[in-house]
Amino acid sequence: MSDAKAREWIEAIHQLDLPSRVRVMNVCGGHERTLSMAGIRSVLPKNVEIIPGPGCPVCVCPEEDLYLAIQIALHRDATVMTFGDMLRVPTNVPKREVRTLEQARAAGARVVPIASPSEVWDAAMANPSERFVFFAAGFETTMAPVAARIAEGLPENVDLLISGRRTWPAVATLLAGDRAAFDGLIAPGHVAAVMGPEEWLFVPETHGIPSAVSGFRPDQLLSALYSVLRQLVEKTPVLENCYAHAVPAGGNAQARRLLDTVFEIVDAPWRGIGTLPESGYGLRPAYAARDARVLHADLADESRKRMGEMPAGCGCADVVLGRIYPTECALYGTTCVPRSPVGPCMVSDEGACRIWWAGGIRSPEDLRTLHA
Amino acid sequence: MHDAERITLAHGNGGRRTRELIDEIFATRLGGPDLDTEVDAARLRLPGDDWAVTVDGFTVEPIEFPGGDIGALAVHGTVNDLSVSGAEPVHLSVSAFLEEGLEFEVLVRLVDSFARAAKEAGVTVVAGDTKVVPRGHGGGAYFTTTGLGRIVRGDLSAKSVRPGDVILVSGPVGDHGIAVMLARESFDLRGDVRSDCASVLPLCKTVWDVPGLRFLRDPTRGGIATVAHELSRAARATVRLREAEIPVRDPVRGVCEMLGYDPYYLACEGRVVAVVAPDEADVVLERWRNADGGADARLIGRVDEGPARVVLETSIGGSRILDELEDDPLPRIC
Repeated sequence: MSDAKAREWIEAIHQLDLPSRVRVMNVCGGHERTLSMAGIRSVLPKNVEIIPGPGCPVCVCPEEDLYLAIQIALHRDATVMTFGDMLRVPTNVPKREVRTLEQARAAGARVVPIASPSEVWDAAMANPSERFVFFAAGFETTMAPVAARIAEGLPENVDLLISGRRTWPAVATLLAGDRAAFDGLIAPGHVAAVMGPEEWLFVPETHGIPSAVSGFRPDQLLSALYSVLRQLVEKTPVLENCYAHAVPAGGNAQARRLLDTVFEIVDAPWRGIGTLPESGYGLRPAYAARDARVLHADLADESRKRMGEMPAGCGCADVVLGRIYPTECALYGTTCVPRSPVGPCMVSDEGACRIWWAGGIRSPEDLRTLHA
Repeated sequence: MHDAERITLAHGNGGRRTRELIDEIFATRLGGPDLDTEVDAARLRLPGDDWAVTVDGFTVEPIEFPGGDIGALAVHGTVNDLSVSGAEPVHLSVSAFLEEGLEFEVLVRLVDSFARAAKEAGVTVVAGDTKVVPRGHGGGAYFTTTGLGRIVRGDLSAKSVRPGDVILVSGPVGDHGIAVMLARESFDLRGDVRSDCASVLPLCKTVWDVPGLRFLRDPTRGGIATVAHELSRAARATVRLREAEIPVRDPVRGVCEMLGYDPYYLACEGRVVAVVAPDEADVVLERWRNADGGADARLIGRVDEGPARVVLETSIGGSRILDELEDDPLPRIC
C-alpha cells in the first residue's frame, strides 16, 4: 500500500520540469536512514540531490563535554549513564590516554549505555547509596522526555551533564551566508511534532526556500520531497506540513512547557563548527546544584590542544553542515570505518557516514551506478 | 548423584561422578546400539560411499530461548550443515562443556531436547565427552557436535552458480536472531518471536534430485546477505535480492526498525537458501511448499552478469548495496 504510494510520488517527481541542479537538505538522521535504506536516491531524477545536513546530535556534541564525562567516569565515584551511541565517540586526547567512554569502561570506570532516560531513574532508585551522572546529548526530541523526567523529580543521587541542542538554529546558520547551501528543505517530523512546525517558517518566509515537514516512511519522504520540488517549480515557497497527522500546529504544548521549566536557551558550541547563538539547552539555575559541569569543573581542562575540534583530518563538521557528502571525506572508508571510527558521524546511528556505510555506499560511484 | 542438584567441579574429575553424569544424563537419553560409553573410540562400519564430515560448536546465550535451546541447536546446526552439503546425516558425536553450578533440571531438558532432535533427523550418537569448567568460565553449557553423513548429491557448490540462476529461501528470515536477542536483553519489547531452530533435512532431501539445483546453504550467522556475498564472490557476478519478496515476519521487522538492524543480516537456524536454474525454480518451490517448514518459500532474487556485489532492490523500486556484515550486532547466537 505505502509502496504503491511511494511509486506514485516517484512518478510525479519525474513529471516535474526541474532546474538542472536541485539540492534538497534533510536535517534528521531518521530521514537519512530511510533515504539510504529504501534506495530513494537511486530512483530520483539525476539532477535532484538530497543532502544530509545537521541531523545527528551525537555528531555535534562538544568534544569538551565528552572529555568531561570520561574524566568523571575515571576519577569520581560515580556511574556515568549515557545513550549508547556516545560510548565510542573519540575525544582528541593522545592515543595512550583514554579517548572514549568505552575505553573508560574497559579501564574499570562505571559507564552504562542506555536507550531511555527512565533507565537512569531506575538505576538511581535501585542503588540509593551510589552516585549517577546522566550525560544527555540530543535534539529537541530527546531533550523533551529528559525534561519531563527531571521535572517529575530528580533523584538525590543523580547529577546532570546536559548537551542538548536545537535543530533550527543550525539551519539558520547555514542560511545566513550570501548564497544558500540548498534549494529546498525537508523539515524533521519528530522535532516539529514536539516544537511545532512554525519553527521552520523562517526558511520559506525569510529565505524564500521551499520546505515541507516529513514523516519517516519512504512514501512520506517522497511526498514531502514532491512538495518541495513542486514549490520550487512553481516558485511558491511555503512550509507544507506533509506529516499533519503527527504534527499539529503548535506542536506538543505540554512537552514545550516542560522543556521551558527545566532548561533555558543558551548559545552553545557545536563540535568542529563553533558556537551557534541560541542553539543549546542549559539547566536552569534551580538545578545548578546538580549540574555536573559545575560540580566537576575541576576536571575540565581548557588548555587541551585541539579541544572542541573534530579529530585531525576528519570531515564530520563539513558532513554535518551538508558541505560535503560522507564519501567526499578523505577518511571515509580508509581510516574511518564503523569498526574503528575516527569521527562521530561514523559512530552514531544517526550520523550520515554511518548510515551511508550501512547502506552500502562506498564511493560517489556507487550512487551513480545504482541510479535507475 | 542426586544429592546435588547442580553440576559441580567433581562432575568433571573423571571419577564416579563423571561416570554417573555420563550414564544417567547422557547415555540414557542418547544411547543406542552404536554408543558404548566404556570405550575410547567408536567403531563404525561404513559402506563404501562418499562421506561428509562436519564439526560445529554452540555457545548461544541464553541456553534456552523461545523456539529452541542449545541442545536442539547443537543437533540441527550439524544436521543442517550436512543436509545443505547433499549428505544424509547418519552419526553424531557430542562434546559437552558444562559450567559449574548448572542445574541438573536444565541439563536434563537440554539433553532431552538434543535426543529428540537427533531422533527426528535419524542420526545416532556414537561418541561423546563431558568436561566441567569452573563457575564464570562458561555460559552454562557449550556443545560441540561432529556429524557424519552419506553423500547423496555431491556436486552442490557456490562455484557452480552462474548468471541467470535464481535464489530461493524456504521461509521468513531473522526469527532466530531476534528471538535470541529478545530473550537476552532487557528491552521493553514483548514480541512473540520464536526461533526457527529446526532441521532442514526434509527441505534439502526433497530437492537433492533436482538436476538444476546448484547450491544449498543454511543462512545462519550473517543471514541471507552473507550467503548472497558468498554467491557473488564465487560466481564473480552481481546478486540481486528483491526486498518485497524476502519474507520477514512483522514482529521481526518491527524490532529491526526500532533497533536499526537489517533483517537480511540476522541469523536463521531452520531455513535454507537454494540457487537453482531458472526453469527449475518452480519445482523447488512446489516441493518446499509441500514439505515441513517450507510453506512460506519464495523466490527472492537472481544472479546477474556484473561486478561481484550484492544489490537489494527495494520495495519502492530503488536499489542499494547490501555490504558484507561489518559489526556483529548479536554475538553468541548459535
